[in-house]
Amino acid sequence: MPASFRAQSVGARSLGARGVAVAAALVAALTLLPLLVVVPDALSADPGEAASYLLRPRVGELLTNTGMLFVVTVPATVVVGVAAAWLVERTALPGAGVWRTLLLAPLAVPSFVSAYAWVTVAPWLDGFGGAALVTTLAYFPFVFLPVAALLRTLDPGDEEAARSLGLSPAAAVVRTVLPRLRPALSGGALLVALHLLAEYGVLEMMRFQTFTTAIMQQYAVGFSDTSSSLLASVLLTLCLVALVLDLLARGRHRVARVGSGVQRRAVPAVLGGWTTPALVFLAAVVALSVAVPVATVVRWLLHGIAEGDPLGADLLQVTLSTLGLAVLGALAAVVAALPGAWLLNRHRSGLTLLLERTTFIASALPGVVVGLAMVTLAVRWARPVYQTVGLIVLAYAILFLPRAMVSLRAGLAAARPELSEAARSLGLSGLAAFVRVVLPLVAPSVLTALVLVALAVNTELTATLLLAPTGTDTLALAFWREASELDYAAAAPFAAVMITMSVPLTMLLRRQILEER
Amino acid sequence: MSELKILGVSAGYGRETVLEDVDLTVAEGTTTAVLGGSGSGKTTLLRAVAGFLRPGSGTITVGGRTVAGPGTWVPPERRGVGYVRQDGALFPHLSVAGNIAFGLPWPRRRHHDRVLELLDLVGLPAAIAERHPAQLSGGQQQRVALARALAPRPGLILLDEPFSSLDTALRTATREATAQALRAAGATTILVTHDQGEALSFADEVAILQAGRFRQVDSPRTVYREPVDAEVAEFLGDALLIAGSAADGSVTCRLGTLPAHGYPAGDVDVMIRPEQLTLTRPGAGGLDAVVRDIAYFGHDAVVELDPAGDESRDPLRSRVLGVDAPALGELVGVSVVGRVRTYPRVLD
Amino acid sequence: MPQRRHLGAAAVLTLTLPLALAACGGGGSGEDAFEADPDALQIYSSQHRNVTEAWAQAFTDETGIKTQVREGQDASMGHMIVEEGDASPADVFLTENSPAMTIVERAGLLAPVDQETVAQVGDGMAPSSGQWTAIAARSTVLVYNTDLISEDELPTSIMDLAEPEWAGRWGAAPGGADFQAIVAGMLSDQGEQETQAWLDALADNAEVYQNNIATMQAVNAGEVPVGIMYHYYWYRDQAGDKEGSANTKLHYFGNQDPGAFVSLSAGGVLASSDMADKAQQFLSYVTSSEGQQVLVDSGSMEYAVGTGVESDPALPPLTSLDAPPVDPFTLNSDDVVTMMTDAGIL
Repeated sequence: MPASFRAQSVGARSLGARGVAVAAALVAALTLLPLLVVVPDALSADPGEAASYLLRPRVGELLTNTGMLFVVTVPATVVVGVAAAWLVERTALPGAGVWRTLLLAPLAVPSFVSAYAWVTVAPWLDGFGGAALVTTLAYFPFVFLPVAALLRTLDPGDEEAARSLGLSPAAAVVRTVLPRLRPALSGGALLVALHLLAEYGVLEMMRFQTFTTAIMQQYAVGFSDTSSSLLASVLLTLCLVALVLDLLARGRHRVARVGSGVQRRAVPAVLGGWTTPALVFLAAVVALSVAVPVATVVRWLLHGIAEGDPLGADLLQVTLSTLGLAVLGALAAVVAALPGAWLLNRHRSGLTLLLERTTFIASALPGVVVGLAMVTLAVRWARPVYQTVGLIVLAYAILFLPRAMVSLRAGLAAARPELSEAARSLGLSGLAAFVRVVLPLVAPSVLTALVLVALAVNTELTATLLLAPTGTDTLALAFWREASELDYAAAAPFAAVMITMSVPLTMLLRRQILEER
Repeated sequence: MSELKILGVSAGYGRETVLEDVDLTVAEGTTTAVLGGSGSGKTTLLRAVAGFLRPGSGTITVGGRTVAGPGTWVPPERRGVGYVRQDGALFPHLSVAGNIAFGLPWPRRRHHDRVLELLDLVGLPAAIAERHPAQLSGGQQQRVALARALAPRPGLILLDEPFSSLDTALRTATREATAQALRAAGATTILVTHDQGEALSFADEVAILQAGRFRQVDSPRTVYREPVDAEVAEFLGDALLIAGSAADGSVTCRLGTLPAHGYPAGDVDVMIRPEQLTLTRPGAGGLDAVVRDIAYFGHDAVVELDPAGDESRDPLRSRVLGVDAPALGELVGVSVVGRVRTYPRVLD
Repeated sequence: MPQRRHLGAAAVLTLTLPLALAACGGGGSGEDAFEADPDALQIYSSQHRNVTEAWAQAFTDETGIKTQVREGQDASMGHMIVEEGDASPADVFLTENSPAMTIVERAGLLAPVDQETVAQVGDGMAPSSGQWTAIAARSTVLVYNTDLISEDELPTSIMDLAEPEWAGRWGAAPGGADFQAIVAGMLSDQGEQETQAWLDALADNAEVYQNNIATMQAVNAGEVPVGIMYHYYWYRDQAGDKEGSANTKLHYFGNQDPGAFVSLSAGGVLASSDMADKAQQFLSYVTSSEGQQVLVDSGSMEYAVGTGVESDPALPPLTSLDAPPVDPFTLNSDDVVTMMTDAGIL
């Protein structure tokens, strides 16, 4: 009911709201730009040639590799993520708070840095095994984070009701808790799947070929030819399939808490004799996912210093230009996300629904596809923007719009329209109400969005490889260049800076799950 | 404080009309409760008065100034209309003092005296001024919301179900504090509610809103005792409807011949409130009956009665004081006190 | 709770502020302005970063002409220039292997190289078209792990690696332009049928690595006994800490075998350059004895091609390698890519 009220309240008919709607529609169109470039380019290929290119054993091999990685990594991240979340949130585990932070820490380590560490620590570990190990270790927090947040807020009442209906503790968990974890689990698994599809650094280092590595290779031999668009279209299709699978897995059932009353925290399960195995498990996960990469980077860093490698000036220069790109990318993504986030919160309509779907699809776009689309677009139709910082910033905005959107929507939800109305009935004009009520409430989430996007830009590799303007170097590019030449000592400083700059992300996320109570 | 006049207002969302041609006058310094079920249009009415919804037609004047009408539209911030919502809508980023002072002009926002005055007015201790909304109970939040709305001395205060989210004990206390504060401020008030007791006890006048139209606007006593029709009667409380035959200010029905007002003569439906049925010794009332069931509430009790010697007749219901509650199975006499209300016959 | 949120906001703000300040600083410093400098000579280079930068730096020091380098990969950059066409920002193009340059040459986008420049390089180091010139050279070698295989067990020809007995026993980096140049040489020398058969065998037989260095390290670590690569990575590692090559030696096929292929790194001036004089001056500098000495001193261990400049003494003389008689000026990497795609390698 309130939604329909808002839909037609006075403000909705104003010129301002229309302007916002137009802006949001433009952003949506911009977001779909990669699809609009890559797909027609792929379709422009001679159907026969395209078919013979796609229907060859090599593409089958890429599909098999991608499938194998899916079959192992997705369930592995789910098992590790759920087990860790349950131990931290629902048991009397010693030091749960510390574990919570440590289990989020892998998010601060770019996955290709993790791969680099594993390649140097265990050179025999490559191909499928290495790829599956490193992706699992790098991605399990995507499952851990939402599941832990949900377990925290899940009222134990259901479990108790199930127990009083004669179910064992385990059966109670399986039949009441697990179904409610479904959206969190499926959302986490989707993130893992999309990251697997877009992953380049880890797989290239592990010599495990998927569509993304193949597209990069095609770029290396042919620049922006149709073959890469064909491969990119297949990749895009896989991403959309993952998206649809997630929708199906999520289910339509209501999982929110029904009924009123004050919510209670669950009584932590006593682990007893299982305490030690649980601690060993968590310690192993943290050691493999955080300690190995960090220790390796530090080791090579010290090695480099001992050898007297000069880094200072170059490192500073690269860091500064990375920060510059990160800030520009963050501002672009947040500004682009604002109209849509506002519309989604305030004026639900057909357009906003379309907008939501668009953002959803955009969240599945791999960096390599966006990068390739931008190259193709610029070279063929928009030559003036070619090799400019504007183009790469546009790519970042497209890639990271969904992140900014999530954060902004949460912030705008805090600044409920009722509050603006209250301010206006207290004598404030619309603008004054925005300044004194909406802005203070939304500011933290705007800053969160900026930081999230900036950190993502900080470690972006594939789109940056394709789009960096002449004379621009980034930490990820510099790291990748040195690591590709297997000069680990030279790569270490760049990795160290990237990890250091990503630490705030972990703090931010930890704060979010703690506050979601 | 200002008089509110609503004349021929229609309003709605898109093609859907929620309010149809409604009139309402709230005299200066009085409180009118708008009582209606969900979907009756009561929130729409408030939003039209507050300025968040533009009526399709009609005129709204506050203190003689037209705020909405043909060619006139005053935005909410220039109406001098305070609005307290169901959830309080306190600003979470501001302290209690910051919330209360929010609508005051800048120089006065710095001074605490008005804030303290308002906290006192709504019956809250000065100590909570520095707290944040999240640290307050629901009842406290509502009182702060009221203080905030009163701070700029609006001509009119709109209360949108302000007590409905509170539990019973808190509701009564908050309601009393609110009524007191409004009286002290001499505010003209509209209270929107779906709670009959709240409407009857809180307001000087009660306006019954159903399906976007006012069915009756009268004093609480009148709307309860003399509802315009059976539907309104049942909406306001328990009502017993039985067939009867009216003539010359009285009506004859199975409970005897009773003084009546309403439809003048002929076949009528008789509306009797359960508390009008009193229990006496058998044979002393208009009818004898056997006590079939009792719902005992302490202060009062609802007694289900089977009219004696006539099993086919529908049971009667009487509300008696708790101390007067009869025993189950007891034979009692039933008589009617006060006038009853009659309507044209619709019962079979 | 709200105070806490304010704290969080403050924390986020303090984290973001330096970012914003850094952005302003980064943008203002000029040297890193996120865009091509219109006054600088634009050098598109798929050569090694340190070599290109050494040349660019030395050239700027000597002439005062500003330079800016855009890095890329051979074929990708060649095709990129072709796509850019007349509007290409590039003034000069430097490659690792000549096929990338012939992509541009076939598109008719190169300006003839100054005669004096061509005269500075050795015989057969510039195509008769006069459109570009060699700037360095590198030789194909077989690196082998001395613990796993003895010298007499080594194949006598690179073509032998297609035999079943070598299945799973050799490494290569077929995704890289270096390897594609070697195959282009093979195609020119052995013809399409032989080369395709060899590529088909490679798809089954070889362990695939990301690049030459990874191949060498894999051989050194004993993952495979032998690997195909260019010579200079090995000499570079040997000159350093030998961490990636201590257990290995190099085998030169010689005998005009396709495996003894010598690849030329190329330099050319774009016809569309708006500072053609400076571009010619740069290419002249790179091929001069001074510029070639910069190459030798950079420690890249590539062969110098300028007359009168000695390559690093650790290297066997270029003339002693008995390379196959292929014309480096006609090599076509696009054909190779098609054949490798057919073989399922790409």
